[in-house]
Formats: sequence, C-alpha cells, structure tokens
Amino acid sequence: MESLQNVFDRFSDVIGKITATLMILLLINVFYDVVARYFFKSSSIAFQELEWHIFASMFLLGIAYTLKEEGHVRVDILYEKLSDKNKAWINSLGCIFFLLPFCGLVIWYGYDFTLESYSLNEVSGDPGGLSHRWLIKAMIPLSALALIFSGLGMLIKNLRCIFEKDI
Amino acid sequence: ADKVYRLKLAETWGPNFPVFGDSVKNMVKMAEEMSNGRLKIRVDSANKHKSPFGVFDMVKIGQYDIGHSASYYYNGKVPNTLYFTTMPFGMTASEQYAWFQYGGGQELMDEVYSAHNLVPFPGGNTGVQMGGWFRKEINTVEDLKNLKMRIPGFAGEVLAKLGATPVNIPPGELYTSLERNTIDALEWVGPSLDLRMGFHKIAPIYYMGWHEPATELMFIVNKKKLETLPADLQAILKVAMRKASYDMYVQSYALSAENWAVMKTEFPDIQVKTFPPAVLSAMKKANDEILEEKASNDPMAAKIIKSQQDYLKLVRVWTDISEYGYIKSTKELAK
Amino acid sequence: MIGIIMFGVALVLLLTGFPVAFVFAGVALIFGVFAEGFELFAFMPYRIMSIMENSIMMAVPMFIFMGNVLQKTKLAEQLLEAMGQLFGRVRGGVAVSTILVGCLLAASTGVVGASVVAMGVISLPVMLKYNYDKKLATGVICASGTLGQIIPPSIILIILGDVMGVPVGDLFRAAVLPGAILVGAFILYVLIYAYFKPEAAPALPESEFSGPGGFAPYLVAFKAIAPPLVLIFSVLGSIFYGIATPTESSAIGGAGAILLALLYKQCSWKILWESSIETVKVTAMVFAIFIGATAFSMVFSYTGGEELIEELMFSLPGEKWGFLIITMLVILVLGFFIDFVEISFIVVPMLYPIAEMMGIDLTWFAILIAMNLQTSFLTPPFGFSLFYLKGVAPPEVKTMDIYKGVIPFIGLQLLVLASIVVFPGFYGFE
Ligand code: NA
Ligand code: NA
Repeated sequence: MESLQNVFDRFSDVIGKITATLMILLLINVFYDVVARYFFKSSSIAFQELEWHIFASMFLLGIAYTLKEEGHVRVDILYEKLSDKNKAWINSLGCIFFLLPFCGLVIWYGYDFTLESYSLNEVSGDPGGLSHRWLIKAMIPLSALALIFSGLGMLIKNLRCIFEKDI
Repeated sequence: ADKVYRLKLAETWGPNFPVFGDSVKNMVKMAEEMSNGRLKIRVDSANKHKSPFGVFDMVKIGQYDIGHSASYYYNGKVPNTLYFTTMPFGMTASEQYAWFQYGGGQELMDEVYSAHNLVPFPGGNTGVQMGGWFRKEINTVEDLKNLKMRIPGFAGEVLAKLGATPVNIPPGELYTSLERNTIDALEWVGPSLDLRMGFHKIAPIYYMGWHEPATELMFIVNKKKLETLPADLQAILKVAMRKASYDMYVQSYALSAENWAVMKTEFPDIQVKTFPPAVLSAMKKANDEILEEKASNDPMAAKIIKSQQDYLKLVRVWTDISEYGYIKSTKELAK
Repeated sequence: MIGIIMFGVALVLLLTGFPVAFVFAGVALIFGVFAEGFELFAFMPYRIMSIMENSIMMAVPMFIFMGNVLQKTKLAEQLLEAMGQLFGRVRGGVAVSTILVGCLLAASTGVVGASVVAMGVISLPVMLKYNYDKKLATGVICASGTLGQIIPPSIILIILGDVMGVPVGDLFRAAVLPGAILVGAFILYVLIYAYFKPEAAPALPESEFSGPGGFAPYLVAFKAIAPPLVLIFSVLGSIFYGIATPTESSAIGGAGAILLALLYKQCSWKILWESSIETVKVTAMVFAIFIGATAFSMVFSYTGGEELIEELMFSLPGEKWGFLIITMLVILVLGFFIDFVEISFIVVPMLYPIAEMMGIDLTWFAILIAMNLQTSFLTPPFGFSLFYLKGVAPPEVKTMDIYKGVIPFIGLQLLVLASIVVFPGFYGFE
C-alpha cells in the first residue's frame, strides 16, 4: 500500500512542478502584454487570451497538488482536538463520499463539454484569438482526474493510519 | 384540467437587465396568457446559470429548452452564426426584418442552426448602435493607428486591419480603464444602455454608428423539445417570440430617444460626431476585404453574405426614396 | 426549504474539519442529486468555465506571488518595520502599517481574496514575530483585506451600479470618503486597543532602531522607506498613469517585487521558484473554494433558494426608516450565509425600486449596501476572508482566533455604516 501511495504522491508532485512553472509564465505573459501595449503600441488578442488559459490551467491543476500538500483550508475548531485516527476517519469518509464522486461527476459532464468543443473545432470568438478551444475546456475533466489521483493518495494514507498498527 | 407544459429559458443577460430582459419577460407573459396558462416558462438569468455565453450549448444539449442571446456571440463555435445579428455597413432594422421574413434570411438562419438541434427566431432589435465613446477626435485614417479601443468581434477585426489595437477588457474594468487612458475609446450600445455606465463623463466625444446598424437578438429553441409541444402551443410560442422581438425594437427606439434627451440636457458638453468620409470608406474597404475572405473559405458563408448584399441593394433603393427621402426633404420642417 | 437544510448540513459538516471546498462540493452533490438528479451537474463545467474566464480574478495569484517574494526576501518585514517607524515607536505600529498596505492593495483592485491572502503572507508572520495578539493580527488582516470592496475600483460597486442603474463613476466618487473614514476607524481602534492592552500590540524593540551615527541613520531610513515607495509607485502608478488595467497592475506588483529583490540583492531562482510553488498552493486553495461554492450555490438556487429569499423580502415595512433599517438587517443576516454577488443580484433588484419610490437617494443606498456586503466577507461561519486567511496562516493560528479577531472589526464597520445612515450630509449625500 505504501508504494501505491508513493505513486500517487509523486504524481501530485509532478503536477506541482508544472503549475509552478505556469505561475511564472502567467506573470511574464501579463507583464509582456502591458509593456507591449503601453510602450510598443501593439497588442495581440491571442496573448491576452493566453493569460486566462495559463491562469485557469494553473489553479485547476493546482488543486490536486494542494490536496497532497495539505493546503486546503479546514475549519479546525473541533478537528484539532481529535486523535489522529479520528482525523483519518473523517478524511477517508470525506474522500469516499464527497471528493471522489464529485470529481467523477465533473469528469463525466466535463468530457461531453470538451467533446462538443472538439467536434465543432471551436475557436475564440474574437478575431486573432486562440484556436483549439477544446484544449482549455479539457482542463476541467483533466484537473478532476488529477484530483482523483491525488485523492486516492490521500485516501490510502488515511486508511493506513486507521488500519496499519504502527506508522 | 388541461395539461400544463413547463419550459425553462436561459438568457445571456443578468436579472432585470433593461430592454433585452424585458423582451424575454414580455414573450413569457404573452405565451402564458395566449395559452390560458398551459404554457409556463421559467426564466433563468445569467446570475443563476452563470454562463452567459453557454446559452447555445445549454439549449443544444437540453439543459434548457429556450435561450435568449445574440447570434454573433457563437461565431467561435459555429462561424456562420456571425451573420444573423448585424453587419457593419449592413441593413437597418426595418431592412433587416424585411430580409429575415421576406428575403430568405430566416431560412438561412434555420439552416445554420438546425445542424445543432436548434430552431432560431429573431429576438428583438436595439436599432442603430452608437460608434462609441472617444477621448480624442478621429480626423484621418492615421488617427486610427495605435488607437486602443475596446471593440469586440468582427468590428474589432475591421479596425485592427486599419492599425488600431482592439483590447479585451472585462466590463467591470471598462470605466477605470477609459478614465485612466489605458484605452482611448470603447463602444457599448447606445443611449438606452450607455447612460448609466457614465462613460460620457470621462470621454466626451460620442461617435455615430457604423459597426452595428441593427443588432438583432435571438431566441433559440431546442428542436426536440419544441416538437413535443402540441401544435397550438408551438404556434403560440412562435407568435409570442415574434411579437416580443418587434416590441423590443419599439421599446429601444423610445428609450434611446428619451435617454438621449436626458443626456443632452444634463450633459450639454457631449459632442456627437460622425467619422469623416475618408475614415468610413477605409473601414468599408477593410470590411469588404474580410467578408470576401470569409466567403471564399466557406460556401455557406458565401451564400449568406451574397443574400444579404443582394437584399441590401434591393431594399436600400426603396429606403432612399421612402424613409430617407422623406426625412431629408422634411428635415427643416420637423423643427 | 431544501436551501435552509443545506445550510444547516453544510455548517455541521464544516465542523468535522474536512476541507471547506470539498464540504461545499459534497453537500451540493448529495442535495443536488437527491432533489434534481445527476443531470443538474451537467451545469458544472459551464460554471467552472465562467470562473476560469473571469480574468478579474487573475489578480489573486499575482498579488499572492508579490506577497511571497516580499516575504521570502525579508523585504516585507523591512517594509512593515519601516512603515512602523513612520508612526514613531508607537504600539500597534505594524498593525497600522498593515491597514495602510491593505488600503494600497484595495486601491489597485477590488478582489478581496487577493488582498486578504497577500496580506496574510506579508504581514501575519511579522506581527506574530513581534508577539502581536493572534486575534488582533488576524482581525486587522481580514478587515483591511476587505477594504477593496469599498475603496474604488471595487467589484461590488460596479455590480450595484449595473443592477440599480446608477453611474459607476458616481458610486466610485461617493465611496471615497466612507472608505477613508473606515480606514481611520480601523487605525484609531488599533491605537486605542494597543494603548490599553500594550501586550497585544507591542512596539518594535529598541534594538530594531539602533544604528551608527552621522549620515548613516538617514541612509538606513531611506533604504527602508524605498521599498514601499517603489511598490506603491509600481502598483498604483501603473493604474493612475494608464499603463495597466487594475488587474494587470497586480502583475506589475509581482514584477515590482522581483525588481526590489534584485535591487536589494536578495533575489535568486530558488526564491522565485519557492514563491511560485507557495502561490500555486494558496491560489488553488482559494479557487477550490470558488468551485465548491459555485456547486453549492447552483444547488441552492435550482432547488428554490431564490424564491425563499424573495418571500422574505415581501415582509419589509413600507415607510422610509423602517424600510432602511430592516433592509440593512436582512442584508447583513443574508451576508452570513450567501455570497455578496448573489445578494446583489437576487435582493437588490427587489429593493431599489421601493427605495426610489420612497425618495431615497440611490447612490447613498448603494454605498450603504456595499458597506453592508463588505461585512459579509467577515461574518462567520461563511465569511470567505476568514477561510482565505486560515489557508495561509501558520498552524498555531486557529480558526477560533480568526473568528474572535474579526468581531471588533465587524462592529467598526457597522458603526461607520450607521454614521452614514445618520449623517448623510457629512458624507456628501442629499
Ligand atoms: Na478596490
Ligand atoms: Na458571509
């Protein structure tokens, strides 16, 4: 089980590296657009659209990495007083009944949403905008899939805490 | 008792959005009254479904039965939807209605939308939209170069061809961006909706329109759903939509006239200008080049553009000697 | 009815300590499927897409990045200490500086999440280091982080202008004085609190100020004052000089922070990379809450939540003062549970025609509502500012500290709100 958890955790780490890179690209992208428009009197709708493409990919994928890093905020009024085992119970049940099925639904409907865009070969409605709109729409089911992997890592970790005697 | 049919309608606009939203409310009310309560339509505004530009998709897949939106919003998805709202240098509202109903326009629109399980109908007209609020005068084509303007879509493409810089800015930041010179100009709608945005206080030059002479909204109905309605209710729905669209045109006309009177008395400094002939003809040339390119890439686009241009040639001669001729010859007397 | 049960269940499940974002999503899932079936969730991709396309929200990661760079390069500490010195060696100096930095961020965007989180990253560690009371520190950050709502440019004023048909420019102008008074009230409160409870907001220790004699102290002071100046210039200047839109100014802020780090020879790839990773974590935390919340509000409104609120509004009294007071109370209470955008769209369209009929100045009414809705970010249990700050705070800061910390500031906001109601003339209304 430990090795399986490691697989999921390493996957989340890779996602983390990708999103951190996206963050730096976002800053460069927006800064470049400002400089180009103000100092060089030129602006590209494609680059302006790229801003929110990078931004959205970053935060969507980042949700999976943040789960593995324990970065999602909790109301800890009671939680902090619980034993590790009880915490693990809450996390496992929450994962099974909330997190994983919700991601499943987002993937289910997000896939149709993306497929529709792909089959129409959807592009930006603005002239000079980006083509292949399905790519950014695909980030919705993909990020939910990444969150499932990350969630499975979290589930295994918490199940081990409950059922493996000494860790 | 008679069976009650309940339909769900998604609109692109927020709740209580003036004019556009009124058209929907009007249609729903008429449909319910004419059907003696057998047709009930629930209206969900953008704050509820959260997807103003997802109306096409949501009606297509059946999450909603009816949509109220504008056709050209969907040209990234289905390129030929572009032609059924308004075209720069194109027909006026009365000319365009004539084209829709007696010049083959509706049939062409049906053809474009039927591939997506949708039945489209005109949804109300704003009349001529204004060319926008500018901070500085446009005297030559040269002045368009480096003009930073918020003007989305096809018209933005026309200006870009002449060296302007179309900028995408979320509506919530338009006021601050115009005030701080981040952009030099922007277009919104016309007096009916511009007044409350307050642009006239920071950009005093109001240019007359060229890019949207007759913006027509649309109703779209999910085809399968429409066919499940009894024949009389289908007819009632269609009549309600047609009547509502005409009413919106009338309402826009009235409201624009009223709001313009308010603007002119409360803010006498607003300068209304037309673009100089040289600028307009450069825009027209750029416009025609883009249309030609679109026509050469897509036979259906070619068919629609030709239909519109032929009809404009036919109808404009009549407009010239009827409404325009009348207005011109009696202009001085009307004062 | 389902709406009310949903809120109750969400409240209970939030207390289990499972992450907030997924509790919202999970409750939405259970109630949505139960009441409307799986099909309802076909809306989810559209709703997520509208969050993705909302480019105003881009300010969130970029201000957080700015905060992280400033914090990791120790420039944040220097910045706040330098500003603390501006107020002499008074107690509460860092808290006052925090309020002023919050003011600065507020004047460059109207995105509350961005301000609260950036301030949490920048100034919470400094205040904790100097032994500030956790409740005071978190209260100050949450409250000054929400200033973006009232200090223009502000999203809520733009929405209200749109819904009520009042020119946005008028609202922006009308909001300046109330915003300034609110900032003044926060500062005054901190100073008084620190005077009576010195251990809650200690002055910086003497050692922080010692230095060599001659010209050197001026140089030290200048070096300390320069960073805030560069940052103020880059963020606000870029909007005022029309270089960038309010959202883009956050990128200028991020770039400005890197520039500062370079100037002070504190910049390295390692710091940039770590700042970036930290930024992703916090941004994803914030947006996960957005996604969970949009699922929640979807189920709430598609199961008749709006009708529920509408019924509530019908019971409002029909004369001016009663109407005003009850309206403010209802919005305040709704603000405990519902997002401000929802309130502006559902409730305000029903209220303003009545207000107009009673001869109430709509600009004044809009400012009252905006002030009131600003409070909704701070009110437990669903105050989003509280969640944002908890997400960046070190583990020793408990949710309870934050809940308790914001209470005096909620009181201050209501006090200023009441003053606008009672003395409209002073604020330039009517
Ligand atoms: Na603001
Ligand atoms: Na709240």
